[in-house]
Amino acid sequence: MTLSFLDRGRTVAPAGYNRYLVPPAALAVHLSIGQAYAFSTFNLPLTRLLGISDSVPGDWTLAQIGWVFSIAIVFLGLSAAIFGRWMERVGPRRAMFTAALCFGGGFVVSAIGVHFHQLWLIYLGYGVLGGCGLGLGYISPVSTLIKWFPDRPGMATGMAIMGFGGGALVAAPLSLLLMEHFKTATSTGVQQTFITMGVIYCLFMLLGAYAVRVPASDWKPERWIAPAQPHKLVTTANVDVDTAWRTPQFWLLWGVLCMNVTAGIGVLSQASPMIQEIFSGRVSPAAAAGFVGLLSLFNMAGRFVWASTSDYIGRRNTYMVFFLLGIVLYSLVPTLGQLGHIGLYVAAIAVIISMYGGGFATIPAYLRDMFGTMHVGAIHGRLLTAWSVAGVLGPVLVNYIREYQIESGIPKAQAYSTTMHIMSCLLLIGLLCNFAVREVNSRYYYHENPPGNLAGARGRS
Amino acid sequence: MKARLSTYWLVVGLPLLWGVVKTLANAIKLFE
Repeated sequence: MTLSFLDRGRTVAPAGYNRYLVPPAALAVHLSIGQAYAFSTFNLPLTRLLGISDSVPGDWTLAQIGWVFSIAIVFLGLSAAIFGRWMERVGPRRAMFTAALCFGGGFVVSAIGVHFHQLWLIYLGYGVLGGCGLGLGYISPVSTLIKWFPDRPGMATGMAIMGFGGGALVAAPLSLLLMEHFKTATSTGVQQTFITMGVIYCLFMLLGAYAVRVPASDWKPERWIAPAQPHKLVTTANVDVDTAWRTPQFWLLWGVLCMNVTAGIGVLSQASPMIQEIFSGRVSPAAAAGFVGLLSLFNMAGRFVWASTSDYIGRRNTYMVFFLLGIVLYSLVPTLGQLGHIGLYVAAIAVIISMYGGGFATIPAYLRDMFGTMHVGAIHGRLLTAWSVAGVLGPVLVNYIREYQIESGIPKAQAYSTTMHIMSCLLLIGLLCNFAVREVNSRYYYHENPPGNLAGARGRS
Repeated sequence: MKARLSTYWLVVGLPLLWGVVKTLANAIKLFE
């Protein structure tokens, strides 16, 4: 079965096609896979599958369940890196279709794992299969959107990647609603919720796959003329994915993304306990949950606002703002906590998280500027391994340093100060990486009929 | 084309709007 309707050739848009029909297709996929950020809503119910109202011996522990999300993020990075080139070849529709089956299928396999109380099936289902769906779904619309919006690549990818941030806003209340609906005296309702969500997300992503279109090769926006004298850091050439990752620019941008994400994810992963401990007695668990929700909103909005802003001020300048403003805010946060300014503390963390989201959304356009549009999706896929590293590094830094501080006798409210200063140092490294970014050497450029060009570029690097 | 454009944006916009409203309602507790 070849499923020819999924072929790239069948997705080429006819003349006069409205390009604003494409971002909703990308959003349908990203809104679905953004559910990953809300997986923690299943953590407690999964530890009570046998005891129902409370955990009993034989139930899984929170630490065991915590691995599900970690495995999914690792497989997100791996699948994006491995399948990026395949995705560029087969086009966005087949990649989205595959992502839908993987992500929806991951939920169904996990539901079977819940039914038989087999944790390895949850790791395999949501972690491995779902993680592959996350990776494929994340990168599949990026190069398509960049080709549709050569005049506003930041805004276009910001719109899609905003969906990944917004996915948690939908998934968290939806999961709670479904579990409440399916809950009985003998079931937590997780199994049925997994199946329902798997079906809903699979269908929603398939709608995206159906709606996505690629522009014809000679298409360009009406009344838009490519600048005759391109900006110094915006190339009109292309770099092959296998060549791109051998350039210093790739690794500098890898460092930029990794540092930005490490700092943000560290705060995001501990946002609820952090605000409760810093403002002990003044912030209830319910208010802390509200704080986490507020951060999700800023994470989502930052993706669109910062990526769109980068179209005007440039990609490198946008990251300069992230790092310089980030260093100032991370340094100020401990003082704001000690002074007891909840409002200013919340505002500072919200801006930090908006820049965390902005970093994700601006990087595809930065890659486009550096390496051209030809393999930008695949290059983006390889760069996402930085996210996998940061996803482990950020929370580990925050958790271990906090524990060490508390063991050293420092009050809980002040245990985050050192962490914040370390985060500032990470941002300083990111700032230096970003500062070092220069245009890609022309010897790495791709040529249609290479006189040994590609091999030569590889050999010389 | 305009009807299709509106439909597409509504299909993705309405769930997102629902999520934003739910989140904001929860976030208000922080300032109560």
